[in-house]
Amino acid sequence: MITVQHLTKSFGRQTVVSDVSFTLGDGSFTALIGPNGAGKTTILSMLAGLLKPTKGTVNLEGIKDIRKEIGFLPQYPQFYPWLTGLEFIEMTAKLSGISARDTRKEAVKVLEFVGLKDVMHKKTAQYSGGMKQRLGIAQAIVHKPKLLLLDEPVASLDPVGRREIMNLLKQLQLESTILYSTHILNDAEEMTDQLLFLKKGQVVEKGSLNEIREKFDVPRIRIQFSKIEEAIGYASQSKWSTEVEGMVVYIHITDHFPTMQQVMEELSNSPFTVLKIERNRLTLEEIFMKVVSP
Amino acid sequence: MRTFTVLIQKELRESWRSFKFLWMPLLFIFLGISDPIMNYYMEDILNAVGNLPEGFTMEIPEYTPADILLATTGQFQSIGLIVLVIIAAGMINRERQNGMALFLYVRPISFTALFFSKWVVINILAVLSVILGYGASMYYTAILYGTVKPLLFIQMVASYCVWIFFATTIALMFSAMFNTVLSITFTVIVLPIGALIQSLIGQFWNISPWKLADYSVQLLTQSDNEYYFKTLLLTLLFTVVFIIIGVLFTRKNASMIKI
Repeated sequence: MITVQHLTKSFGRQTVVSDVSFTLGDGSFTALIGPNGAGKTTILSMLAGLLKPTKGTVNLEGIKDIRKEIGFLPQYPQFYPWLTGLEFIEMTAKLSGISARDTRKEAVKVLEFVGLKDVMHKKTAQYSGGMKQRLGIAQAIVHKPKLLLLDEPVASLDPVGRREIMNLLKQLQLESTILYSTHILNDAEEMTDQLLFLKKGQVVEKGSLNEIREKFDVPRIRIQFSKIEEAIGYASQSKWSTEVEGMVVYIHITDHFPTMQQVMEELSNSPFTVLKIERNRLTLEEIFMKVVSP
Repeated sequence: MRTFTVLIQKELRESWRSFKFLWMPLLFIFLGISDPIMNYYMEDILNAVGNLPEGFTMEIPEYTPADILLATTGQFQSIGLIVLVIIAAGMINRERQNGMALFLYVRPISFTALFFSKWVVINILAVLSVILGYGASMYYTAILYGTVKPLLFIQMVASYCVWIFFATTIALMFSAMFNTVLSITFTVIVLPIGALIQSLIGQFWNISPWKLADYSVQLLTQSDNEYYFKTLLLTLLFTVVFIIIGVLFTRKNASMIKI
């Protein structure tokens, strides 16, 4: 269990992170979501001990030097180009306190886990972007840290690489608590227990995806027409409150009314061609826009 | 201690794989042999070039072995030293600026060990280069001009190494304090330009680390330099102080790392 209280960071007069508090339960998978410059990287850096907080505390089960229990993956990992993947992981393993006897075994194990065993004797200078990201994950988990901090772990990858990395992270969740920042909301939607929305250095919303959805979701029915004129035509004669967006009409539902059946009934008596009708939920992206927009 | 050995291994690998252990000693060996050979064959060279005016005669002074070693020291001071300290001036800040050191800084390492790993490796490189460079110079000097007492020679080389420790320590300290541009600028101002000031107006004072290189060579000819030990002690003292400052700044500036 990690408790973060009143975390604040100022650079001169500029406050980048202000009064951020949250807890991460054991084995939880938490996403830090926010626009660029919201302070995601600064928060992760403070948790990793790279930056000293101006105010506030980070508590990991009362452990004093929490660097021992942390794995950190920066957004753009830079490796010593003259080391091989294996040498690099062995070095980081030793520095994290793994005994000399176990170093080789653990390093090979973790490289196999991230799928780099075949290239572990190559210099990191020859690694591709996806391989570097996986090497970055390997160094972050080789010492089995309690808390894994990942800064935009998938942002620089193509969809295939993204899926691979997210699957790796899902497996890691069994051993570590994971906190990662992202702006790729599809991934966050799929596998995250908790969301922390950041805006201008402050947590503006937190909770599970469902909780946040409940809060921001405006129940509505989405009807797609084949022409803009038809959408406008339908909206003007409908008896419910509507909103037109191009060829799409949204009907707002208040107190479970109207129901889907009522809308369909009304549509069947109208001359318009309907392409699609659905009960519409906000996507995470729409929630994101709602939460972080001024 | 464990951190220290791991970091030393890393630094040695870096220097080895970037061929610093090859070209740095080669540079010093080249600088070392150039003076005895050039001076010895100067007359022949001038004759061979052959465009001296008719009747021109030149007095080529009779050099003693100590003169040649002094000239070699001058070469080390002006070229070898600059190359060495510029490398040292980028050791801590470069990997901080490009973010490579991040994987070290997020681990429970001691910044004292980090500083010393770099200090030890740059000085292994420096001492190796200096010994081979002076060795090469002495070899040709012995063949062409004559020898000096072996013990005095060893004393001179050891004493010069103390000056090299001082120089690399200043460079590493700046490396911990500033970014690469500033650290190299300050290093180049403080060390070679300091040596230049020393040679221009150095007669007004007697004890200064910048005099240690000259005093080291003087060990060969005069054994009664009353300022030598004070200079040696002062240089060692400064070195220790700069190491402490360097360690403190390595720790303090860890947050300057590019994330």
